[in-house]
Amino acid sequence: MRPIGFSTGAIAKGDFRRALEMMAPLRLPAVELSALRLRELPHLAEAAGELSLSEYRYISVHAPSNFAVADERRVVSLLRGLADRGWPIVVHPDVIFTDALWVEFGNKLLIENNDKRKSAGRTARELQALFARFPEAGLCFDIGHARQVDPTMNEAYLILQGQADLSQVHISEVNSFSRHEPLSSAAIEASRRVADLVPEHVPIILETLIDQGQSTMEQELFRASEALTSVLPVEA
Amino acid sequence: MPDFTTTSYLDDLRSKLGTDWPTLSRARQTTATRRDELARLIVGEESEDANVVVYGSMARGEMTRESDLDWTLLLDKPVDPSDLPTSQRVAKKIRDAGFVEPGKTNIFGTMTSSHSLVHNIGGQDDTNANTTRRVLLLLESYAPGKCEAYVRVRRHILFRYVDDDYGLSFGSGQKIVPRFLLNDLSRYWRTVTVDFVHKQRAEAGGKWALRNAKLRMSRKLIFAAGLLACFECHLDEDAKRAREEIRSRSHRSAELIDYLERAFSVPPLEILARSVLRHAKLDTARLLFDNYEAFLALLDNPEKRKTLGNLDPNQVRDNEVFQEVRQISHRFQDGLTRLFFHDNKELYSLTEFYGVF
Repeated sequence: MRPIGFSTGAIAKGDFRRALEMMAPLRLPAVELSALRLRELPHLAEAAGELSLSEYRYISVHAPSNFAVADERRVVSLLRGLADRGWPIVVHPDVIFTDALWVEFGNKLLIENNDKRKSAGRTARELQALFARFPEAGLCFDIGHARQVDPTMNEAYLILQGQADLSQVHISEVNSFSRHEPLSSAAIEASRRVADLVPEHVPIILETLIDQGQSTMEQELFRASEALTSVLPVEA
Repeated sequence: MPDFTTTSYLDDLRSKLGTDWPTLSRARQTTATRRDELARLIVGEESEDANVVVYGSMARGEMTRESDLDWTLLLDKPVDPSDLPTSQRVAKKIRDAGFVEPGKTNIFGTMTSSHSLVHNIGGQDDTNANTTRRVLLLLESYAPGKCEAYVRVRRHILFRYVDDDYGLSFGSGQKIVPRFLLNDLSRYWRTVTVDFVHKQRAEAGGKWALRNAKLRMSRKLIFAAGLLACFECHLDEDAKRAREEIRSRSHRSAELIDYLERAFSVPPLEILARSVLRHAKLDTARLLFDNYEAFLALLDNPEKRKTLGNLDPNQVRDNEVFQEVRQISHRFQDGLTRLFFHDNKELYSLTEFYGVF
């Protein structure tokens, strides 16, 4: 079975403790600790050692998605402490201001393909340039972002055919306002076009926002498993 | 994969023939200048979901002194009432900058929604205007400013042409040519030729000679480039992986869509030059490009262009300028005939198989 789980931010925005409590009964193998907002990161860094995470085979951290250049050193310093625990750090390309600070994460750095609002890191070509700067970094492939950029999923295919090491997958619906939502049937169908390119061992993190009761964890897990079932027959 | 972004096959051909096409060079330079000018004009009017797209001579890299500017505001997004004022501001900026305005058909100079372009390929709602906008988006278009929506919509259209073409994926024949796309390009070309006669009647012969010249040359050129792009899917070694992928058990179309996307990312003369370098004899190359050069030189001559623009259909037989462009077009057609039917057996075979029935 694929290592699969949720981003804490999708379950309880800004409250990773609450999210972990809610996820515990499901005994999922993977989790992403979200510090998407800058203010969440110090709390997560401080609490990391006390969190009950022993059930999880895979744990990653999502770095803040929006901060000023002036905050970059502090952010990297706090993330360093989390990466030292062996947790990969997922980062959006547009908040990498100083390469030297991030390159030190080595293979613990996972660069995520961006949504269409951003000016870099959206397409295979843009990502190729990024990974040339971070040759040890892995790819956190966000299926929703890739589909938003190109609903035909050709860009998704080209990204997955790229040189970067696929290390984690984000899955959700991303609407035209770039908000993550529960998976629609169309998103499931689109994801299935590239599902065969995601190896079984790669951790899957659901970013489907259900913090307002939009859906349930069970429902979203079921839909994610549908989305990751290839429509393509396996090659003989 | 052919490197269409950095290589000029036209320059390669020019070197190979040891010739010079000064009007083509000047047109390319004029186009580059005008594209930059337009890009500056539209700063602030676009978003990643709404791009200004140009067609015609600016897209083909063939602008001469009197060239008009065919453009649209291509929308790939939820409806927004502010789109119309945006397109009207773009129209005013273009007009105020002295660009020659598009024709009266209302196909250009306004907004175009991606939805009908992608969803209505064939069927009752695929109007002439819709077919024209869709096919030209592939064959002769360019985004001078932002290009996210432009790239996205072109890919959607190619996705439809390739993914809906079951013969490509499941066919048993050895030839791998995107036939749904090819048939639509052929349909477009025939529509243009039929509409030529319609306009002749509807506009009482106005601009008949100029339209006729363009039909014989630039319209025919883009059709030929479209056919070649389709045939190269089967012939081109760079498309080998795309062919294997689509005929594999997974029937994956992404590589072929990517190949076509790259093929259509350059002007039609570049597509023609690449195929000519690969398949044609040097005499054929000269016939095609020397005469296209002559056609552009004629259009770039204000007197001759004016003559063609004002010529009554009843006067063409005795008019020197029209007879000149007619002879040019005959030699250009001869070049196309040699390319598609005589110089290369494989290309002939594809033309014979797909070109008529």
